[in-house]
Amino acid sequence: MLEVRDLRVRFGTFYALDGVSLSVKEGEIVVLLGANGAGKSTLFRTISGLHAPAGGAILLEGQDVTRWPAHRLVAAGIAQAPEGKHLFPEVSVGKNLRLGAYVRRRDVEGVRSTMDEVFQLFPVLREKERDAAGTLSGGQQQMLAIGRALMAKPRLLLLDEPSLGLAPLVVEEVFASIQKINEGGTSVLLAEQNAHAALKVAHRGYVIEEGTVSLSGGRGELMGNEEVRRAYIGI
Amino acid sequence: MTLFLQQLVNGVALGSVYALVALGLTLVYGVLKVPNFAHGALYMMAAYVVYVALTAVEAPYVVAIAAAIVAIGVLGGAMELVVFRHLEGKTPVHMMIAALGVLFFLEGTADVVWGPDFRPVPTPLDGVVSAFGVNITEQRILVIVAAVATMVGLYTLLKRTLVGMSIEALAQDREGALLVGIDTKRVALLTFAISGVLAAIAGSLIAPLVLVFPLMGAVVILKAFVIVILGGMGSVPGAIIGGYLLAIAETMAGTYVAFAFSELIAFALLVLVLVFRPTGLFTKGT
Repeated sequence: MLEVRDLRVRFGTFYALDGVSLSVKEGEIVVLLGANGAGKSTLFRTISGLHAPAGGAILLEGQDVTRWPAHRLVAAGIAQAPEGKHLFPEVSVGKNLRLGAYVRRRDVEGVRSTMDEVFQLFPVLREKERDAAGTLSGGQQQMLAIGRALMAKPRLLLLDEPSLGLAPLVVEEVFASIQKINEGGTSVLLAEQNAHAALKVAHRGYVIEEGTVSLSGGRGELMGNEEVRRAYIGI
Repeated sequence: MTLFLQQLVNGVALGSVYALVALGLTLVYGVLKVPNFAHGALYMMAAYVVYVALTAVEAPYVVAIAAAIVAIGVLGGAMELVVFRHLEGKTPVHMMIAALGVLFFLEGTADVVWGPDFRPVPTPLDGVVSAFGVNITEQRILVIVAAVATMVGLYTLLKRTLVGMSIEALAQDREGALLVGIDTKRVALLTFAISGVLAAIAGSLIAPLVLVFPLMGAVVILKAFVIVILGGMGSVPGAIIGGYLLAIAETMAGTYVAFAFSELIAFALLVLVLVFRPTGLFTKGT
């Protein structure tokens, strides 16, 4: 599905990503663990076309999509719920969702049915359909960010720190819905600091440190790994 | 009382033009963060298009207005394509200097083509309507009606169409807009073209009421900036309310205080707003 090969991203003389390689297979949830500043968001932003890489390649189903503009990547099937959410705060929840389906705007029927699916996944969004996105609580905004990304009907969903700043109960709810989304056939790449919650739903994972992948493995391997436990789970 | 009503009507007509100019300015600023000083030149160019259409070509006024809308809409788009597209991500100072450069270029062009003289434009609608002791020229009625229709049209475009929603999306969160797949370059081009159309409508409505000359945009653009700051940078309702407020204040001050005072009022208001409410009177609440 997605293959990232030796990706390098430079800010001035500093390499935020220094040769990252990873892959997401069809139907998988893959988690990317790492501390603040390890390069998770930079990787996500580069995959979505917001940063131009200095080297390496990004392949979507075998096709080289490195340096594609952001809007083409969304149309090709990669949608992201970014860190910080980047919702349209003064626009209603319903319009935020409709804007999420911007690349499918001619498919009126399809957009309506995806919107119903999103409302089924997050019923609170239906209740708040007419409210401005900026008035929602943190958890609701996260749900809207995920819902907006789903509106593009992506084959690969990128979720950057969906648990950030949420209460534990809400985190559980969000992760349960991520699992549901995945069961619907969408592959998911998830960046998290909350390794405990993320590893519960993920099939595989990577640990990223200082711009490179330092460790990778299946869920069980990572759960059992001493370093992962010490650094990201805290038990 | 009659004098007051008369001046109120005149103020509303002037305010309609101010609001249209300010709308184009606030739209481009709100969406693309470009302080477009060259916007006044679009307004001036539109007046010249109408002047040429009415005098040299002797076209009907409607055709003259349509020609101005098309020509200046294209000119606005060209401004984005040729200049501002290449300044994406640069500082506001870069944008401002580029905008001033475009302003001087267009003013210079008008000066070369038509010369520095003040040129009268024929008045196609020269009738006068009287009601309640107030006389209002048909041209002023047209200004008010056409401006309000344009504002309703703009509002409908922004709020009710997906194209308008993509413009709003870009204004509110650029990164969010990119991530939902909006082609931000296309939206930028479109926004500049729309601002050109707004300037064209304002310029072609005012042309028969004033004298046309290369620097006519400079005064108006300064006032439009005052209005945009007054109403809150990027705020559409702020630009409309601010436009009418400033024009009515100017007309009233000119009538009841002293004529010379009317030109001062915009800048007095600007200073007051900047001191007491620097984010503008109608800033969107966040």
